[in-house]
This record gives sequence, structure tokens and C-alpha cells, in this order.
Amino acid sequence: MSNPTKERGIVHYYLRSTSGIVGAVLLFIMVAVSLASLFKFTPHDPLYQDIENLLKAPSSNFWFGTDNFGRDVFSRTIDGMRRSLTVSITAVSIATVVGVTLGVIAGFIGGWFDQLVARVSDVLFSFPAILLALAIVASLGNDWYDTAFAIAIVYTPIFVRVARGPVLSVKEMDYVKAARILGYSTPRIIRQHVFPNVTAPVIVQIALSLSWAILTESGLSFLGLGTQPPNASLGLMVAEAQPIAAFAWWNLAFPSIFITIVVVGLNLVGDGLRDALDPARRSS
Amino acid sequence: MFLPFRSIEMTLRISAVEKRYEIAALNATVHALNGIDITLEPGKTLGIVGESGCGKSTLARLIVGLESPSTGSVDWNGTKIENLSRNSLNTHQSAIQLVFQDPYSSLNPRQRIGEAIAEVLTVHKLRQGREVEARVDELLSLVGLATDLKSRYPHQLSGGQRQRVSICRALAAEPQLLVLDEPVSALDVSVRAEVMNLLIDLRAKLGLTYIFISHDLAMINYISDYIAVMYLGKIVEYGTWHQVANHPRHPYTEALIRAMPDHTVIGNPESLKKTISGEVPNPINLPSGCAFHLRCPIATPQCKVEVQKLINVDNGHAVACMEVSR
Amino acid sequence: MSLIQVSNLSIYTSQEPRVLVNDVSFEIHEGEAVGLVGESGSGKTLSALSILGLLPRGVEATHGEIRFLGRSLDDLDSESMRKIRGSEIAMIYQDPMTALNPVMKLGDQLMEVIESHPEVGELTIERVKEVLRDVGIPDIERAINSYPHEFSGGMRQRIVIAMALLLSPKLLIADEPTTALDVTIQQQILALVAEERQKRKLSMLWITHDLGVVANLVDRLHVMYAGRIVESGTVKEIFENPQHPYTQGLLSSLPSPRGASRERLSSIPGVPEKPWLVGSSCAFAPRCSFATDKCRQELPGLSGNSAHKVACFYPLGASR
Repeated sequence: MSNPTKERGIVHYYLRSTSGIVGAVLLFIMVAVSLASLFKFTPHDPLYQDIENLLKAPSSNFWFGTDNFGRDVFSRTIDGMRRSLTVSITAVSIATVVGVTLGVIAGFIGGWFDQLVARVSDVLFSFPAILLALAIVASLGNDWYDTAFAIAIVYTPIFVRVARGPVLSVKEMDYVKAARILGYSTPRIIRQHVFPNVTAPVIVQIALSLSWAILTESGLSFLGLGTQPPNASLGLMVAEAQPIAAFAWWNLAFPSIFITIVVVGLNLVGDGLRDALDPARRSS
Repeated sequence: MFLPFRSIEMTLRISAVEKRYEIAALNATVHALNGIDITLEPGKTLGIVGESGCGKSTLARLIVGLESPSTGSVDWNGTKIENLSRNSLNTHQSAIQLVFQDPYSSLNPRQRIGEAIAEVLTVHKLRQGREVEARVDELLSLVGLATDLKSRYPHQLSGGQRQRVSICRALAAEPQLLVLDEPVSALDVSVRAEVMNLLIDLRAKLGLTYIFISHDLAMINYISDYIAVMYLGKIVEYGTWHQVANHPRHPYTEALIRAMPDHTVIGNPESLKKTISGEVPNPINLPSGCAFHLRCPIATPQCKVEVQKLINVDNGHAVACMEVSR
Repeated sequence: MSLIQVSNLSIYTSQEPRVLVNDVSFEIHEGEAVGLVGESGSGKTLSALSILGLLPRGVEATHGEIRFLGRSLDDLDSESMRKIRGSEIAMIYQDPMTALNPVMKLGDQLMEVIESHPEVGELTIERVKEVLRDVGIPDIERAINSYPHEFSGGMRQRIVIAMALLLSPKLLIADEPTTALDVTIQQQILALVAEERQKRKLSMLWITHDLGVVANLVDRLHVMYAGRIVESGTVKEIFENPQHPYTQGLLSSLPSPRGASRERLSSIPGVPEKPWLVGSSCAFAPRCSFATDKCRQELPGLSGNSAHKVACFYPLGASR
């Protein structure tokens, strides 16, 4: 008889991936500092303008220096990080729920509904993300949830696609036919037998989409849509830093570095998850 | 003590069934089944044998309700199978079950064996609560599997074990009729006998009715009470296994028998002589008249024109060939 | 005259060395047809592939020697080996679709074989047509300009055979070429192969799991189990007088084809063993109803006479 192999958990496989570990660490740091901002636990008030300390270089008091309004760049940076994460997480959550639901149902049912969903996704997908987001935000408004909503729409098609693929290939498998012959209801078949094949690629996609969403939000804020002054947003800070970057580099550097760290972190986490969840990479 | 499944008087009646598939891209129609009539006796095993294109797998799908016939009807206890809603847990759904050919795709790779079997029991409300696990153990023992396999995943089992699980899952629904579509073809030779013997034992123990579909005439002969030989969507010969295997009448059946690899006949070059020329015609372009006439050694001009019907030649032994049934 | 001599061949995976074929030796004489019979994992395909030096990546033959017409194949460089493939030793596989290029016309593909072996001599499209006729392809002119997908499975396998025979090889290696075909088509292909063998005095190495197929096709056969040869001999000897419990088990697990009897099939419990999990003991012992401690501790070697050898401490049958 075959030797029973112990089923190792996903965490075990994830920890085998160096990139996954690095990414997780980076992400953990970013989320931790954002939480600090959430609980108003910043060294200074991000909005407070300290007129006596305009454009000061980084010091022990102002770790990242101050901007041209005398505001603490560090506090603003982590506040901006929080905003970016809030918007991205909201956006990706909506995109995931809507996209995966549509993708799974369309893939399984097939027919005209599937065609409709697939074609609409393709059309949305063919627009450059930033332009589409711009268009939507421009017509909606500047509150953070408008931005989140716009980004959600932009990234829903990818989830439709990622969820639909496995469904299409799995629904022809004998075990799905067996479930039908056994009289299982369609919701049960989707839940028990089809959906589990979808979770892995969707999880990986969530990590990647979060990173794109952050970039998109930053881009929108940079362009003047999205977060409005005086609130802090990483993209807005980069925009505001442009005229003064030459002589006050800290205004540009730190927000940019933070964007980079969180995006890279999310991508590395995505890689780690992909390796951990892909059964082909595990040896049995 | 394991009791036979609830005995409902059950009859499967297939009447004048035809099945066609339209291929839009080619503007063509595949004639998969061209007039099938079968009445199945409870407790007996019907073996359906044929080569590719004969329609045996299509017939299997119609019997279990995965598809509906284009014309004709498949009746179960007097009700058309297509009228029984696919998702309703009525008698039909549990009464007819199917075992697939491929042991690798017939089990959900993410579901433990025990869970897969328990699911049948809970969905069909056959057991509740603590009784579920006891029943799962009982069923696994019934098919000769150790109960500690409950917690394993399919990829941890061998092909033969997986087929046993498929059989177990089908039996969990307490069917009266089990359709087996090439159940051992994908298994190693030394494992096939085990699964065949299991099927025979289960049949005796539980009073099951089988429809056993295969291209392997030797296996069909071994397990069937009745044999139906299919060619291009029609039954060309039907009878008891003894009639068909030992006294075949239809030229195609004879060709099949002669073509079977025979390990009991050794060093006989004669056995390699080409028995029948040509290939199975494409089901999109059915030949006129008797579907077999293009390859038949005794075909006459009439065969090209006249579609053959099954004619009784001897005590239930029927052949669809006018030349032979004169 | 010995055409192929495989001596003590062992094949391992390169990483975490796992043995796949363990000390296998066999010979093919000129004009002879030899069968390699076994189930999945027995090592039969790898043994055959190693003759042509076509082992997949990650797998290598670490021991043993293969001689072709007396010359050791290990000494040959890759160019010499390439010349042998196709022209002196040809191989056909189970799936004709992977042997045929789907985007090339048939005629071009077959000509390509000829053009790759200029050393064979002047051969033209006429040769291609001749061989296609031999294998029974109808309407040759049209066939040459057609693509593989326009043919049925049986036809494609005939084409593959034609390709193999183009350059009149001395040895044809066939790896389960009829397993995926309908039984009536299989019969046609086997008849064709037997006929060609007669005509061309071709030697053959036929790999299969189907004992019925080799019963009338080969002169001698070797039964392989878990990477070793467990029984060898003439077809008559092995089928009428199987001495290894595995061979015996295989034969009695097959239903009698003509339905003469419906005696219960005897089955071999367990699953075919993986070659690398067997120590130096009899690989079949765990499944053998006659196994003793000796079988579980020592490795039986092949012993017997030229007509029949078996690797078993307690061979079945009268001859001991």
C-alpha cells in the first residue's frame, strides 16, 4: 500500500520561500506603522502646521523632516500609508467578492451569461487601469470611498478572469459529473467541488491586486483626484514634494520609499503564496 | 450484517432512443445513437461492448441522466428520466449511479476519502450525526478498503484503491442500478482482477444490477449475463453471454471475437491475419443501410440499402443482419 | 548473430539516486522478435529507450553496456548515435500524434527522415510512396499532401510505422503502439507489423503490458517487475509453463478471451512495487503467496536454460 505522507500546512510551504518571508516581514512593518496612525499614535499630528519648523531636515524630533507647511513628514507618511491601505483593502475586497462571484457563476453556468460577463470583463480590462480609474473618480467625487469604488471597478475583471479559469476546467472533470449524478444541488457542487480550486489563484491575485491598487491610489492622488489636501496620501505627498524636492529631498524620498516597500512587499508575499499554494511545487 | 438495499421493483426501459449532437462550427450532426431498445431485468448484468464511435458512453450518460435523448425515451419505473429533475433527491438520483473509467479524475483531489463518502450520506439523508462515520466505515470495508484510508486524499491512493472508492461512493447512495463505464481499463493488469472480483462479490451480496460497458470483450464475457454488441449507435447483436460469446452470429461480433488478443493461443501466426478491413466510419456521415456494410465480409447490395433491425434468431438471441437471420 | 546485447543495464534518476531499472540483461538476435512485458513502473520503456540513448532528462544509465552489432553504443559520439537512430534502429510509440508534426504535410515529414540520413543513399519520394503503400494507406497522392489530423488513429499509426520502415532499419522498437487503438484496428496493425517483419527480416523489440498481444507476435519474451527481469524464455515456455509466481499470477488474472470458462479470476494482492523501494531481496515477495524469509532477505538471480530462465528461489512447475 502507498505510504501515507503527512499533509503539511500551507504555512510550512510558505516559509520555504525566501521571497515570501521577506515580503511578509516588509508588509508586517508597513501594516504595523499604519495601525499606529489609525490609533492616532503618531509622533506629531499629521495636520499640524508648525510654522517655526518649515522645511527642516530629518532630526530627532522630526524623523523624516518637515514639509513646507511645517508638518511632520514621518507622521504624514504613515498617515498616508494608512489611507492607501484603507482604500486598497476596501477596493480589493469589493473587487474580489464581486469578481469571484461573477466569475464562478458565469464559468459554471456557461451560456449567454458567461459570454456576457466574459466580454464585459474583457472590455473593462482593455482600458489602462489608471485612465479608467480617473474617469470613474472624476464622475464620482473625491471621498476616499469614491476612490476605493473606482479602483474596485477597475480591478474586478481580473478577479472574474482568475476565478472563471479554474471553474471552466474543473467543471468537465469526472468528479463534478459524479456530484451531479449523485444529485447534489448546484450550490453545493460549486461550494464543495468547484470553488476550492479557485481559492488558491484568488489568494495570490489578492496580494498582487493590493499592490496595484496602492499604486493606482497613489497615482490618482498624485494627479489631484483621490485624497485631497490637507489630508496626507503618499501619492499626494509625492506630488506636493515635486517643486521642493531639489532642496528638501526628504519630502520626496520617504513617501516614495514607503510606496516601494509596500508594493514590493505585497508582490513578494504574492510569490510566496503562489509557491505555497501550487500543488505542483510540493513534492509528495 | 449488511443488508441488501431497499428492494423497489425497478425497471429500466430504453425505447427507440436516438441521440444527436449538433456541431455548429462544422454545420454537421454527430449521430451518436441511432435507435436503441433495451429492457433490463433486475439483478442481471448487461454487458455493452463496442469500439470507439459505437455510442456506449453516450448511452451511459443518458441512463444516468446527465443528458437527455434526442428522440425516444429512457424510462425508470415508468417515468422518463429526463422528467426527473436533476437536482431533486428523488428515487432516481440514488437509484442509478455511475462508476467512471478514470480513477484520477473521478475523485475530488481536495476532499478526503471519508468526507466524499459522508457527503453522499448526508445529502441523501441516509444517516445523521454519529451514524455517518459508522456507515462510512461499513461501506469502506464493503469494498475491501481499510477504514484508516478515510483521512487520506485521493493522490495518496493507488489507482485500484481509487476505483474502489468510486465504487464505494456510488454504493453509498444505495443504488439499484450501477452503470460501470470501463471501470478497469485504466488500471494495471494485475489490479484489474481484484476490482472485477469485488464487483462480482458486491453484486451477489447486495443484489445489484449492473450495466457494464467496455471495449474489452473478455471482461464483458466474464461478468455479464447478457451482452449487447454496439456498432455506430445501434445494437447489432444481443443475447445471453453464452449465446453471444460462444455462438456469435453478426459478422461484426465475429470480427471482434477474432480480433481479441488471446493469451491462450500461442505461436499461431494465423491469429494475426487481418480479420476485418477498414475503420469505423465517422458518426457524422453514417453509411446508408446497414452501418456495417462497408466492412462486412458477407455484405450484399441489399445491405447497402436496407437498415437492419434486430431479429430474433434463437430464444432471445437477436441479430441485426438479414443475411444471418434468414 | 547478435543484433542487440544489453548487459547489466541499470538506470537511475540523477537526483536522489533512485533505481528505475536494475541490472537488466537481454539479447536480440537478427530476425528475432523479443517482447518486454510488464506493468507501469516495471522499467520496460526505459530499458528500450536506453538502447537509442533517448533517456529523458534527469534519468541516466549508470551501469551496464549496450552493444549493437558488436559495437558498444557508449563509445559512440552523439553524431554517430544520431545516424543509427532512424536508419538502423527505429522506434514507434503509443501516441502517433506526438510522433507526427501537426503542421507539416505528410510527404514533407517523411522526406525529412530521408534527408536527415544522407548516408543511407539515394532515396526519393518514390520510396515514401512505396512504404506508404506497404502499410496500407489508401490514395497515396492525396495522403502525401495531407496533414496528420486528417487521418484516423489507426491510419496515423500506420504512417508512423511507415516512417520507421523508410530507411529499412535492422531493429524496430515498439512501445505499446496499439494500446490506444480499437481492438479490430489493433489486429490490423499487428498483422501489418508481422507481415513487414517477414518481408524485411526485421528484428523487433515489442514493449507491452498485454500478454495476449505478444502471444503470437514475438519469439521470446522477458517479464519485468519493479525494474528487474523476473522471467525469460520462449513464448511457448512462458505461457504454457510459467515459473515465476508473478507471471503465473498475471496469466491467471486474465479472463479467458473466448468466454469458455467463467472461473473466478485469481488476483495478485497489492500494487506493483516501485523499483527504488526494493532492497536486495525479491521484489515480488510482499505480494507472493509462496514467499519465505529467504525471499525477503536474498535476491534471486536468473537461472535456467536458454529456453527458459526465472529469478525465483521456488519456481513453480516441475522443473526445479
